[in-house]
Amino acid sequence: MPRPRYRSRSLRRIQKKTPGGKTKQIYKKRKPKTHKCAECGAELKGIPRLSPAKAKNSPKTKKRPERPYGGFLCSKCAREKLKKEARLEHESTH
Amino acid sequence: MYQIGRVCLKIAGRDAGKKCVIIDVINTHYVMIDGETRRRKCNVKHLEPLGTVLKVTKNAPRTEVVRLFKTLNIELKETKPKKKTERPKKLRKKKIKPAKQPTDKTSGEEEKKIKQIKEAQAPISSEKPRK
Repeated sequence: MPRPRYRSRSLRRIQKKTPGGKTKQIYKKRKPKTHKCAECGAELKGIPRLSPAKAKNSPKTKKRPERPYGGFLCSKCAREKLKKEARLEHESTH
Repeated sequence: MYQIGRVCLKIAGRDAGKKCVIIDVINTHYVMIDGETRRRKCNVKHLEPLGTVLKVTKNAPRTEVVRLFKTLNIELKETKPKKKTERPKKLRKKKIKPAKQPTDKTSGEEEKKIKQIKEAQAPISSEKPRK
């Protein structure tokens, strides 16, 4: 019987081989889910899957691309959004 | 569409959302841009052409671009070219050897002679005393 704190499924169970040749079960924290584009739902690139505690201590530039809508929209959707904005501005001025 | 003087919006990369003007057309795919963005080569796929066209000379200097952007009510940062500074050269640390004291030949010979005389006068210690 595992220890009471390991009975819940909140931790990942991994089968690992020990140096002695036995297989043992070890428990690890689950990784957070990947960030998704708010518009199309595609996985966002350039965003690490960090736990909140680690993300807090890592710099902002390492957590998202350095462009407008970086970390919120994927590059394709961001391009479309910027294009739309530019065209709307053009229409409003002319 | 992508002719010299066309004002565009950069839609990709770290300069996305910034306005620029085409200052040179390299080929059908690439143009040179300058403005709010850095002065650089750029794929036309990364640009959204806008309605305005400025009167820019080919490969216009930065000062001209700054002046023309003022007409669009956009103030650009004036960048100064970096001053070249010489790198501090790493010098090997040379070990300072202690200067050799000059030895006089004459004095050395004299010392040898004195030693020889002393040895001759001194009793031979290696011989065992007889019982």
